[in-house]
Amino acid sequence: MGPLIRLGNAAGAAGVAMILMVAFGLQFGLKEPPCPLCNLQRAAFVLCGFGFVLNLRFGIQPLHYGLVLLGALFGVATSGYQTLLHVAPGAAAYGAPFLGLHLYTWSLILFLAVIAAVAVLMILSGPPEHDRSDHQAALRFRGAYRLAAYLLIAATLANAANSFLLCGPVECPDNPTSYWISKHLPS
Amino acid sequence: MTGLIFLALGIASMAAVAGLRGTAIGLFGASFIAAVLWLDHHMTSSIELSF
Repeated sequence: MGPLIRLGNAAGAAGVAMILMVAFGLQFGLKEPPCPLCNLQRAAFVLCGFGFVLNLRFGIQPLHYGLVLLGALFGVATSGYQTLLHVAPGAAAYGAPFLGLHLYTWSLILFLAVIAAVAVLMILSGPPEHDRSDHQAALRFRGAYRLAAYLLIAATLANAANSFLLCGPVECPDNPTSYWISKHLPS
Repeated sequence: MTGLIFLALGIASMAAVAGLRGTAIGLFGASFIAAVLWLDHHMTSSIELSF
């Protein structure tokens, strides 16, 4: 069961990286800069992915799953709040829909899916791998597992740069229409 | 601010890959608290669910 669980965690980390890349694609494809709450939802996805990376690097442990759940709950709070803001009839939505739902609604669904997936992984995981040495865990951290972690790191750092270029060092406008950096570049 | 949260999380993930578990979890904790405070800062609009 061990390799299957590790594969599940690698899929979790790579899945989070893919979600962030799709968000980038929609941001640049539809020319819709993310709102502050949208950026926080992306951060929540990274918080989830971080726990998966810890499981891949240090072995499967309940603490790491707990961090994934904390990230997912933060994501539910953020995307749930934004969904409720726009759920009333006549309330204006933010951004264009994607496959029939707005991105914050997709986020809410995906965070709930992460919680469900962690529940399944924890049920299947069995006893924690406390008894294994760090050396053993480090030896197993290679190939697809390492690639999944690197993908997540790349997507996270790309989001850091994107947030800074969009919002600057402090705060984003509620409804951003242009990049902060474009106002500070010489014309 | 969100950029700093992402940056801290990126460094936390790199620390995890490098084997620095305590540093990684500490940075995660700081990022999580910052994210919660930043969400609270942005929760300014009231939710209108009464028709």
